[in-house]
Amino acid sequence: MDPEREPVKVLGISGSPHRHGNTETLLDAFLDGAKEAGGETDKLVLKSARYTACQGCNACHKSGACIIEDDLVPLFDRILAVDALALASPIYTMGITAEMKGFLDRAQYLWARKYLLKTMYFTREHIQRHKGVFISTAGTGWEHVFSGAFPIMTAFFDITGFEYYDNVIANDMDRWKGIRNHPTALADAAVKGRKVVEEIARLRVGGSPGGEPAPQTR
Amino acid sequence: MPYQVLAFATGPRRHGNSETLLDWVLADMAGEPDIAVEKIALDEVTVHPCRGCNACEVLNKCVQRDDMDNIHDKIIAADCILFATPIYCLGICAEGKALVDRAQVFRSRKYVLKLPVVPPERLGKRLGIFIASAGQNWDIVFDGAKLSIKCFFHVTEIRDRDIHYLLVRGVDKAGEVQTHPTAREEARATAKRAVERLREMNR
Repeated sequence: MDPEREPVKVLGISGSPHRHGNTETLLDAFLDGAKEAGGETDKLVLKSARYTACQGCNACHKSGACIIEDDLVPLFDRILAVDALALASPIYTMGITAEMKGFLDRAQYLWARKYLLKTMYFTREHIQRHKGVFISTAGTGWEHVFSGAFPIMTAFFDITGFEYYDNVIANDMDRWKGIRNHPTALADAAVKGRKVVEEIARLRVGGSPGGEPAPQTR
Repeated sequence: MPYQVLAFATGPRRHGNSETLLDWVLADMAGEPDIAVEKIALDEVTVHPCRGCNACEVLNKCVQRDDMDNIHDKIIAADCILFATPIYCLGICAEGKALVDRAQVFRSRKYVLKLPVVPPERLGKRLGIFIASAGQNWDIVFDGAKLSIKCFFHVTEIRDRDIHYLLVRGVDKAGEVQTHPTAREEARATAKRAVERLREMNR
């Protein structure tokens, strides 16, 4: 198939220990929007994956490969093959969950390839056409409740060749008594899901970043 | 009774840079007659991540049975808590984050159930020390971790002004902190200040 006509691949990864909770529901709304815009969507739930955290052994600094053999190495291969990556984690204690952190830290071997060994490189065009989105909910209404998570996402998307494109975040879940009672969050997530697919499709045919969205094809 | 100092080495690499910083501080503190030190390496115990079930908001305890049962009691009994982590991906390592998140039971006790976490006479007399090492030299490299660690200390009744920091940038390779120009001295100063502050608070 003509690469321009291939569907935009969107992978959502849920890092919540809680199935179908606020964050995963928000991710689902985002993925539904992406699908509506013609994206090929897929969701992976870390809770059902088998993996351990990075051991900090730094073996990858020499070899560019992780010594741990589990579900994450094939997952990183998948991540490098998709066009948009949505990382979803609720906020626990001002940060992402331990499950999500355990997964993200394992990208160290990719960091080593990119920055130490220089065997992996992403062109500016590649980064523009690959979008990273952070999806999160938090119980408290504090404005700065996501501030601890943002730098982690910045680091991870940089390592894996995605432009950190958007945040789909909703705080104050305790007051709203769940994402379904939030007046706008789910609808906004669907809009953002559509937008990311349309933007990537537009860039593929030579559109300039941040321009007018392509007319919807449905 | 000596001041109880409870230290957590949370990094997966044993005796790495952040644990070395921790050991320096502990060694200096332990040299004082009124200090009793206990160190726990998360590598040697089992602390599962929080499941986010929120049962602790009702039960006032965690539904998971692991080494956190024991650690929970030690956290309450301690006069000073040290938390050491390497910075991975601009945050606390995953093992350390699991421990931080399991403090949710204290948060539920304090803010939801409105029960005391420590006896009232202990309030304002507990000290926290956050120790971290980072490979990067960026200014912001500890910012994300500090937000989480502040919550950990706040819910365990350690006030913001009673949190001390020992943060060393630019050490990545195993043992690199050993050759850092100021780290050993900073650790010594951290220990000295902590012991003085403990005595002052409990006078």
